Amino acid sequence: MIASLLLALLLPALSAPAAYVLGRKSAKTAANVVLLFSVLDLFFLLTTIPDVLSGGRYTESYYWMPMLGSPLTLFVDGISLSMAAITLLLIISSILFSVDYMEDRKSLREYYALMGLLTVGLVGVFLTSNLMVFYFCWEFMLIPTYFIIGGWGYRESYRAAFKFFIFTHAGAVAVLLGIGAVYMLTGDLDMFQAKNLLAAAPQDILIWIFAAFTLGFAVKMAIVPLHMWLPDAHAEAPAPMSALLSGVIIEAGAYAILRVSLGTVFPSIASIPVSNQFLYALSIFGVISAFYGAFTALAENDIKRIVAYSSISHMGYALFGLSLFPFAEGMIGTVLHLVNHAASKGLLFLNAGAIMKQTEVRDINQMGGLASKMPLTAVSTAVSSFSVAGIPAFACFMSEFLIFMGGFQAGGTDNFYYTTTALMIVATVFSLAYVLRLFWKVFLETSKIEKVEKVPVSMSISMVILSVTVIILGVWPGPIIELISAAVFS
Amino acid sequence: MIGILEVLTPSIILIISALLSVPIINLIRRYDNRHGSLSLIWISTPFLAVTVSILHLCFKYYAQAEKQPFVKVFLVSGIAAHLSSSFLVDAVSIYMAIVYLVVGLISCLYGILYIRIGNELSERYFALMFMVLGSVMAATFSGDLLTLFVFWEASAASSCFLIVYKKSPESIEACLKYLVMIIIASGFIVYGLSIIYGLVGSLNFWTVREALTSLSDKRLLTIAFAFVAGGYAIETAVVPFHMWLPDAYTAAPSSSSAFLSAIVDQASYYIFLRVLVYILTPPFILNWPFALAVFSALTMTVGNLFALAQNDVKRMISYVCVADIGYNLVAITSVEPLGVMGNLFFFFVGGMTTASAFMAVGILNNLGLKSLEDFSGIGRRLPMTSLALVIAVLSFSGIPPFAGFMAKYMVFTAAIEANMAWLAVVGVSNSLLQAAYLVRLVHYMYSKQPRRTIKGKEPRNLLVPVYALVALIIALGIYPSLTLTMIYPAAQQLGLLAP
Repeated sequence: MIASLLLALLLPALSAPAAYVLGRKSAKTAANVVLLFSVLDLFFLLTTIPDVLSGGRYTESYYWMPMLGSPLTLFVDGISLSMAAITLLLIISSILFSVDYMEDRKSLREYYALMGLLTVGLVGVFLTSNLMVFYFCWEFMLIPTYFIIGGWGYRESYRAAFKFFIFTHAGAVAVLLGIGAVYMLTGDLDMFQAKNLLAAAPQDILIWIFAAFTLGFAVKMAIVPLHMWLPDAHAEAPAPMSALLSGVIIEAGAYAILRVSLGTVFPSIASIPVSNQFLYALSIFGVISAFYGAFTALAENDIKRIVAYSSISHMGYALFGLSLFPFAEGMIGTVLHLVNHAASKGLLFLNAGAIMKQTEVRDINQMGGLASKMPLTAVSTAVSSFSVAGIPAFACFMSEFLIFMGGFQAGGTDNFYYTTTALMIVATVFSLAYVLRLFWKVFLETSKIEKVEKVPVSMSISMVILSVTVIILGVWPGPIIELISAAVFS
Repeated sequence: MIGILEVLTPSIILIISALLSVPIINLIRRYDNRHGSLSLIWISTPFLAVTVSILHLCFKYYAQAEKQPFVKVFLVSGIAAHLSSSFLVDAVSIYMAIVYLVVGLISCLYGILYIRIGNELSERYFALMFMVLGSVMAATFSGDLLTLFVFWEASAASSCFLIVYKKSPESIEACLKYLVMIIIASGFIVYGLSIIYGLVGSLNFWTVREALTSLSDKRLLTIAFAFVAGGYAIETAVVPFHMWLPDAYTAAPSSSSAFLSAIVDQASYYIFLRVLVYILTPPFILNWPFALAVFSALTMTVGNLFALAQNDVKRMISYVCVADIGYNLVAITSVEPLGVMGNLFFFFVGGMTTASAFMAVGILNNLGLKSLEDFSGIGRRLPMTSLALVIAVLSFSGIPPFAGFMAKYMVFTAAIEANMAWLAVVGVSNSLLQAAYLVRLVHYMYSKQPRRTIKGKEPRNLLVPVYALVALIIALGIYPSLTLTMIYPAAQQLGLLAP
């Protein structure tokens, strides 16, 4: 369809003022407006599927600022299409979830308007091949996220939001330097053009560019030494925002490493020996994150912090997957893992939010026996947490399996990867451990909470949507793997 | 052919209306003292006339820009031309005139609404603003160092009265400081100019420029330009000489701070750009870029560190202005078309952003809110003013989609392009620091509980100019091509001069 990507980028921007104006009477209207726009957005995005399947890549280009080498280039291929689609699905579920979850809060039309604005950044990151547009969307996530975490979060929420803002902005500043350097070297900011043009550039500068990009993106991905912002921000944000933080924002970091650091800059430095050490570093930090996240999740008692640390662990998996570049299994596995993790972790955060809202406690030691009182939540938590643990038939199993396959394949050419892959497999055991502990303490142990109200309708619906998605992704991953692998092989 | 009258009309209109304002408004007041609508009509007339005359100049210039990109206009033609006052019209000066017009119009509107005697408009105040605007515009078009100096000093003198307008002890002290610095600076400049005149025999930009390349002994010249650049550095408030700026901007009424930061500050950067890039471009004459780079790194860092330590919000914004000077110098250092482009964009954006921040802070100051603690919790109590301030500070910190980001991006990229990656790294680190303390301000505004009840409402009419600037900041941030289409040829033109 004509201009469908432009519409996909701009519709959410329009939804913000629309929600603000129309939501004057009731917050429900505002929610409905944003929801409607998001669904439309998803529709426009999905209209590009035929083009992507036939041509591999679907591109649109508009006049923006040619003086700085930046037309407004929008594109999708299999990777970005699947990421953007899962993002929109998660946004739709989060907004649906918010309707009942946020009902007793104040100034909700601002909340929904900010959600609309946030969508621009979240979706836009995946839709563009121009580094400047990319950076715009990348930073555009910050402001709405800051205000949503701060304004509607839990304890000391503005503090957590401040931490989030400063950390991720620091990362973004490194990225900006990288973008400036790429423009200086090539005079072009299109990722695919720059990739070709950078081949002629001096490699000692390219190493710095690669380092700046990767470091900047790793902050948002919350890789271990740079993860300090994540537990606070995820734990104190309102549940729908946590779902988006964990499901989209940190994954955008992984996507950006794949697309920009590895996809654009790395091919030009692949021939020099130090590039291997970069990949080793990614691999090692992946393993560290996976273990650190899992161990801390085992030790935490706060339900949201457990889930938050589990996100760090999973970003470790993703980073390990990225270090297998350019092995196709590893790349397909990584992207698939991002999609699967988005759905599962988003769902898990929504479940945690539902539990916290209905029981009004967040310490898992004070919960227990909720399975009989909140059956739907119990089932959907089971689905999401089993997926997070990597149990077969649930989404994340397939992608972790592909990543490890890729790891062994890489080990065939470089023994180093045998070690790290083996360590990663050990880490999955701990994932299973914290998931089982969480599930046991919350749902199965003897009941400590007397009365729990029924989970409201809109929250249930959004949990069902995501549970079904997780199961479909787990049982029948064929189509999406096909979509992703087409992009990876091209 | 562009004549002398066409170049000078905007300034003449502004200066004459400044001189006539006091008697005319006093006259008007006798007949119409209820709403002051007649006075508003009188004020808007010169703006209308200036807009028309600048547009006329602009069209006339662009009609022949292909053939003659640098139009030189002499006050006295003929044999004494090299001694006469001369004016230079090129794409850069036209762009700057438009910037002054847009930002000046909006901040004058704010000033008129902000400064009132009892319930009436203050005629002296905007007479002064017209005076500043008129002389700055003439300085922009000037084509020799002396004309530039004369008009520049005229604007500085009028600025003094804008600073001291409230006649409080602090403002008198700040104004005295400013005056002393300006006088020292003009001494420096005149001394430097006299040496240059002795060496070259003329002060026209282009004559000096040509003569410089043929000069064999450059020692005297180094001294001369050290004096000129030093003098303008004092007036620009480059770091070791920056002390007057925060004092002056804090003590002045907010409308004056907004106006001065938007017009006079940007004009002083422009003079730097003109003197250094236009006259001194070929770096083999003097290797000035490195020295300037050091000063710019110093200015950014000092400005931001001091801003970090401030508790008075207005003073914090004043130090942000100092840091802004550093960013501007980064762009000048690069001498690349991209840097000049970033610079020209920065003039506009920096002026608008500082102006809107000072305007918003001015509204809050009027309600008795001064320190960071006073700002606690105003986000909910005074939503519109707070939102404007938030957008201004986010633009300062260089966060898209606000225009400050585009400006910073171009500036830092230019630094990388000029092979000064260290400067770019210093710049972005500073930018991060800036984001940190500015978001702390936002943090106060939204997260904390108000310390005391705030009396009074947000003044609707004062918010109009603030939001006009905010709208421009967002529009230029999302779609910078609005001005880039005009800046690009201008920057290429200046860039052409580079060797």
